[in-house]
Amino acid sequence: MMLKLGVFELTGCGGCALNILFLYEKLFDLLEFYEIKEFHMASSFREHDALDVAVVTGSVSTQRDLNLLHYARNHSNYLIALGTCATHGNVQASVEGKIREKLEKVYGTKANPMRALDSTPIVQHVAVDYALPGCPYDKDEIYQVLISLAKGIEPPTKDYPVCVECKLNEYECVLVKKEIPCLGPITLGGCNAACIKSGVGCIGCRGPLPKEANPASEFEILKELGYDEEYIRRKFKTFARGELRW
Amino acid sequence: MRYVKLPQENFEEFFNSLKRWGKLYAPVKKGDIYSFQNVETLSEITLDYTRTMLPPKKFFVRPKDEMLKLKEGHWEEANGTEPIVLFGVHSCDIHGLEILDKVYLSDPVDPYYKKRRENSIIIGISCMPDEYCFCKSLGTDFAMHGFDLFLHELPDGWLVRVGSVKGHEIAWGSEELFENVTEEDFHHFREFEEKRTNSFKRSLNKEGLADILDLAFDSPVWKKYERICLGCGNCNMVCPTCRCYEVCDLWINAYEAVRVRRYDSCFMETHGLVAGGHNFRPTRLDRFRHRYYCKNYFDPESGFNCVGCGRCDEFCPAKIEHVKVLDEVREGLQ
Ligand code: SF4
Ligand code: SF4
Ligand code: SF4
Ligand code: SF4
Repeated sequence: MMLKLGVFELTGCGGCALNILFLYEKLFDLLEFYEIKEFHMASSFREHDALDVAVVTGSVSTQRDLNLLHYARNHSNYLIALGTCATHGNVQASVEGKIREKLEKVYGTKANPMRALDSTPIVQHVAVDYALPGCPYDKDEIYQVLISLAKGIEPPTKDYPVCVECKLNEYECVLVKKEIPCLGPITLGGCNAACIKSGVGCIGCRGPLPKEANPASEFEILKELGYDEEYIRRKFKTFARGELRW
Repeated sequence: MRYVKLPQENFEEFFNSLKRWGKLYAPVKKGDIYSFQNVETLSEITLDYTRTMLPPKKFFVRPKDEMLKLKEGHWEEANGTEPIVLFGVHSCDIHGLEILDKVYLSDPVDPYYKKRRENSIIIGISCMPDEYCFCKSLGTDFAMHGFDLFLHELPDGWLVRVGSVKGHEIAWGSEELFENVTEEDFHHFREFEEKRTNSFKRSLNKEGLADILDLAFDSPVWKKYERICLGCGNCNMVCPTCRCYEVCDLWINAYEAVRVRRYDSCFMETHGLVAGGHNFRPTRLDRFRHRYYCKNYFDPESGFNCVGCGRCDEFCPAKIEHVKVLDEVREGLQ
């Protein structure tokens, strides 16, 4: 029996949906198990149906997003929040202030014809079965999750910060050795320490490691290295002002 | 133990001869860290390195280690083992490997580890401590076994200790490169060791440490450091004696998978999690304290699970100092 899959896009850059297509020939592995019922980025084909798995990307930033999200939740057994917009709200959710004020600042009027909302992660609106952050996420991760689900295996979640993968790859620690502000110690791993591989610090795109991470100490460490408090604060909340909840 | 001398002019030839015994790995500088890497020429390596970021453990328990492959519904063993020569291993790391041996080679034996250990040659090299080293206080500053050859720096070459039958064969195989050791060489050897002994800046006070840790479970010192510690696990990832790993399956296509194990750290959420949802170490405080108990206390009879290599200090982003924490715990009781 083929599983029915839907991919939904709310407000985001579109990269997270595109990243699924970037699986290229590995997409055919997924098609061994899944029938795609909706995937706007890939095809105009769309069939209303009950879904086994719904993948939702983007943040809730308009009334249309919210309606689509509710549709996806109500029509699926298993819902995956994919990408940092969906799991943490991303940059659009980190902009402070009320929507009417923001509209006025940008457009000079409080009018809201598109019915924009203050951007929020989808986890704030519906229960999700699996949350996979990353801006964008590592495409192999969604591949693993979807194949595991197809085999009836509950996909494991990662419990470690970026530092663990950084060390597994034997990358030089840019925080300790180069005093580059790296958020690796407090950021959820899974990216395979891609930024550190390129010699730059982790910018925290996967959001904070849940539970026992210690942002207060990271703050002190960066301050000690001479970084300005405001700079650190902004860095911390770039991707994840909304707390991780699901 | 047999001693021979390797004159400096024969050093390079000796080094090159090692390739006959397996793929040659030695410490190489990469940015501001050192790493054991495959090398072809002597000029690539840094003989006076301090410590590699990942210890030589990485050859026996690999950071990411493919164990099995699922092919056509059957699991096959994935691991090719090839003979390797590890050149330039420091004494603390040799001790570290012996601690791992106790774990991985006692029943039930880890077959991957065993095969790789049997296919490796360890060539030790003398070193000078930096500000992080405290091996001397743990007695791991000198290796009496656990190596095939051990090279001690002399002004005009190397005093070589032969530590195994294999080591004997290697030296024998290149017999023409070696000379007999003279009284003067021994004198230089002792001089070097004395200089080294006097260069340590850190030492761990082991006295009564097991009892102290017994009494200090609720010490405020743990609480103080729990606030500083990031829980990032870097200290575990670089430790030559950390033994924990995680196993997971990864799909490589629709029907084939690999089973991979990777280093784990007791700072992670699922490390202390058991069936039923109970977590033995739910907080960072539990985890921070646990690491010190694991390193210094579990079985003091059979020695410490720490060799004083200084890696956890060098690579801790929060600059937490292993010895200092234990000293403070001790002081807290007085
Ligand atoms: S470079 Fe960043 S991610 Fe890597 S170990 Fe250092 S702090 Fe952690
Ligand atoms: S490396 Fe330092 S900050 Fe990270 S878990 Fe270890 S002690 Fe804590
Ligand atoms: S329990 Fe922690 S300190 Fe002990 S071996 Fe495992 S990772 Fe290392
Ligand atoms: S606990 Fe620290 S000093 Fe001791 S062996 Fe591990 S990394 Fe080295």
